[in-house]
Parts: sequence; structure tokens; C-alpha cells
Amino acid sequence: MRQQLTLFKLNQQIKEALNEAFPATVWVVAEVSELKENRSGHCYLELVEKDEDKIIARARATIWSYTYRMLKPYFETTTGRFFSHDIKILVQATVEFHPAFGLSLNIKDIDPAYTVGDMALQRKEIIERLRNEGVFEMNRELQLPIVPQKIAVISSKTAAGYEDFINQLENNGHGFKFYTHLFEAYMQGAAAVPSIIQALENIFQYDDFFDAVAIIRGGGASADLNCFDNYELAFNISQFPLPVVTGIGHEKDDTIIDMIAHTRLKTPTAVAGFFINGVELFYDRLVQNESEIVRLTRESLDDNQQRLERMAVEINQMASSFIREKSDVLSKKGNRLHRNVNRFAFLKNSELNNLKHDLQSALSIWRVEKRNKLDQKRRVLKRVAGEIVLTQKNYIVHLKELTRHSSRRFLQTENERFHLNSETVRLLTPVNVLKRGYTLTLKNGQIVTSVNQLKIGDAIETQFADGKVKSKIKKNKL
Amino acid sequence: MATKKISYNEAVSEIEDILEKIENEELDVDELAEKVKRVSVLLKLCKDKLTKTNDQVEQILKEMEE
Repeated sequence: MRQQLTLFKLNQQIKEALNEAFPATVWVVAEVSELKENRSGHCYLELVEKDEDKIIARARATIWSYTYRMLKPYFETTTGRFFSHDIKILVQATVEFHPAFGLSLNIKDIDPAYTVGDMALQRKEIIERLRNEGVFEMNRELQLPIVPQKIAVISSKTAAGYEDFINQLENNGHGFKFYTHLFEAYMQGAAAVPSIIQALENIFQYDDFFDAVAIIRGGGASADLNCFDNYELAFNISQFPLPVVTGIGHEKDDTIIDMIAHTRLKTPTAVAGFFINGVELFYDRLVQNESEIVRLTRESLDDNQQRLERMAVEINQMASSFIREKSDVLSKKGNRLHRNVNRFAFLKNSELNNLKHDLQSALSIWRVEKRNKLDQKRRVLKRVAGEIVLTQKNYIVHLKELTRHSSRRFLQTENERFHLNSETVRLLTPVNVLKRGYTLTLKNGQIVTSVNQLKIGDAIETQFADGKVKSKIKKNKL
Repeated sequence: MATKKISYNEAVSEIEDILEKIENEELDVDELAEKVKRVSVLLKLCKDKLTKTNDQVEQILKEMEE
């Protein structure tokens, strides 16, 4: 007869066999594929094992609430990440089999060190991959603008860290103006990676506008940083054309995002401080340049002033020495001229003396000659004159004789004519004329010969042969 | 030169270029006056840009909201 078992009995036997086979707890390595907490605080998980991407084993597991209350915080503080799916865990569990619910692992304990190691390994692999692809250093090699003033912020609006960041920027001590724009994204959990990548893509449209990207998030001890150890996100950030500054609020080891970011800072406040400091450095440089230019300009002007003064002094000196030199030359020339003039004068003087001497001797010779000639001429003249005088003397004797005869004859003739004329003269004498009845009219003792010499009222004298009368003119020209 | 659009980099390198020239005494007094004036314009420009709100930039930010 075939042996028959009820399902319950079968399951009972399986349970007994399992209890025999796994009398104590076992340590199991598995990956959490699902995780649920119910209202009473129990935790239900699905554990899997994968070969590449294929699931080769699967089992349900539970952590009862009293255990879970202790295990969860222990795990999270030790690993720095949430106790959730997609993590590899090493747990101590009993193998349970319930006839109605089947196989299940009842987790009693957990070894977070395994998960930490696994995470480190994963990180190492990601880093390795990024390095091999040559993108690991790319964002760090970007140059942060000299003034990081326009910041694209990736954060969640409600995060305290975001508010701190904005407050810090807006209330900077120098009154610098910052321009920010929030590109919202989930900052933890499964949605974080795609939403951050989406935010980066949005910023990429304005990559000419922004100076830098800030990825910020408020801190917290229980923060799950797993999403920041993601290859996809790291790959995107490393090749982003703007420098990325992180401030994702954790004190532990850097995440991969921190490693590949241009600058890694601990908190959003520190990121704000970093940008403010960048602008401050530029501002200080301006102020320094300003004072430097004032100083240099003043120096340069002073130098020029001094140079001018020095030149003035030099010119003065040069002019003086030039004048002195020329004056020396002039006086030397003057002296030479004086000497030359003296010598010339002396020469000319002696020439003149010579000439004078020559002239005097020539003159005395000439004078002697002239005198001799004169003497000669005088002698000739004397002789000629003597001859002439002698001739004339004879001629005069002859003339004297001639004259005596002529004058005797002339006198005789004239005497006869004189006797003839004296009778005429006697008749014409004025007295005889007056006696004959003629009168002579005088005015002021002058003879009047014309009526025109007289006018009315003139006194006239009339001379008669025997006297004179005075009369006055009464009428004129009858 | 379009002074309005000058970048921080351009401004500061121009300023420092002028500084160097003054330091090396490459400028005569007339040039000096001109360059110092230029520097003060650039300094003012940078300081204004650092501290005063630029409406054009604000406008671009506003457009991002939409």
C-alpha cells in the first residue's frame, strides 16, 4: 500500500528534518531585495542571491520587533546607511519552517562590518571604473570662476541645509550679491540618483550662465549616503561642464560624489562660506590693486617731480658752465684780438713812419729840385725882364718926347676953344637967366620941374633974380 | 571697449597689467593719468557688479522658474 501523508504531516516532517539539520543559528550572506516594517514593528524581508543579475536563491526572513529595535540603529550607525533594500548583509538566523507559511529565516543578529566591507568594495569598484574611463579627475580639473557669484543649487526646498545655505549667502558681511537658483531633487532614497541627474540636465541648459553647481543637503547621523556612492551620478557629475561643490552633511568618509566633485565641503553652510570666501579674495585683490595703484601713481608722480627738479638744477648748471666757457673763449679771443690789433697797429704805425720818412725825404728832394728850378727860372726871368725893361725904358723916352709935342699942340687948340665958349656960358648962367625974367620954383629947397610934384596946400618958394617969395598952392593944374 | 560686458577676469587682468606697467615705469605722465582713470573705472565696475543687483541676471533667473 502506498504510504500517504497529509500536507500538514509532510510539512511537519520537513520542519522536524530542518530542525535536525539546522539545530542552531547559521550565518548567512544575502542581499536584501525587499524590506517591510509592519505596524507592530516587525520587519519582513526578502533575501536573494544573484549570479550576475540572475537570482539564484530566494528566501523570506523576519526580524521580530524586539530584535529589530536594536539591530536597525546598530546597523545604521555602524554602516552610515539605511537598513533597506539593495544592501548586502551578513545575518545570524535560525531556519524556521512553518507548515502553513513555509520556509523563513528568523534573523537574530547582524554583522554590519560585512556590509561596510561590501560597500567599500563596491565603492572601490566604482572608483576604479571611473578612473579607467578617465573621468575621475575631470570635474576637479575645471577652473572655478574668479568670482563664483551665480550658483545653481541642487537640493530639496524643505531641507534645513538649503535654507542655511541661502541665508549664509544673502547675509554675507560684505554685501556681495549672489544669484542662486534651486534645481529641486530628492536627496536620499531610491529616487535621489535619477532626480539629481535630471537636475544636472536642467542646469546644463544654462551652463553659460552659472559659475558653479552646489549639491547640498542637511546633515544627520542617520543620513543615508548610499545614493552618493552611485556610479551613474558620479559619471554625470565628473563630466559636468561647471565645477560642482558638495555639502551633503556628513562627517564620515567621503562619498564618491565628494571625491569627484570640484570641491568637497562638509555642510551647506561651509559651501556658502566657500563661495563668499572666493568673492572676498577677488574683492581683496581689487582693494589691494586699488591701494597699489594709488601708491605707485603717487610714487611715479613724485619721481617725475624730482626728475623735473633735478633737470632744472642740471640745466641751470649746464647753462652757467656753458656761459662761463663761452665767456672764457670770448675773453681769450678778445685778448688775442687786442694783441693782434696792437701788433697790427704797431706794424702799420712803423709802415706809416717809413712812409712818412720816405715822403719827407722825397719832399725835401722835390723841394731842393723845385728851388733849383725856381732859381734857374728866376735868373732867366731877371735876364728877360732886364731886357724888357731896357726896351720899354727906351720906348718911354721916345713916348715922353712924343707926348710933349702933342700936348703943347692940344693945349693951344683948347685954349682958343675955351675963349669961344665962355661967352655962351655967361649968357646961360642962372643969375642971368633970372635977370631975364625967369623964376625958379623950389619946394623944401628942391627945384620943382613939374606940376605933378605939387599938391594943394604945399608951400613953395619962388626964386627971383633979386630974392625969393614964399607962396602956397591953392589950385592945381589949371 | 565695451566696458559694460567686461568680465571680472578681463577687468582684473587689465588692472594688473596697468599696475605692472606703472611699476616698470613704462608709462609717461600723460599715459599714467589716462590709465589710472581707466583703472578706477574698472574698479568701480567690478565693485558694482559684486554688490549691486543686475536686473538682466535677475531676469534670466526669473525665466528659469517658468
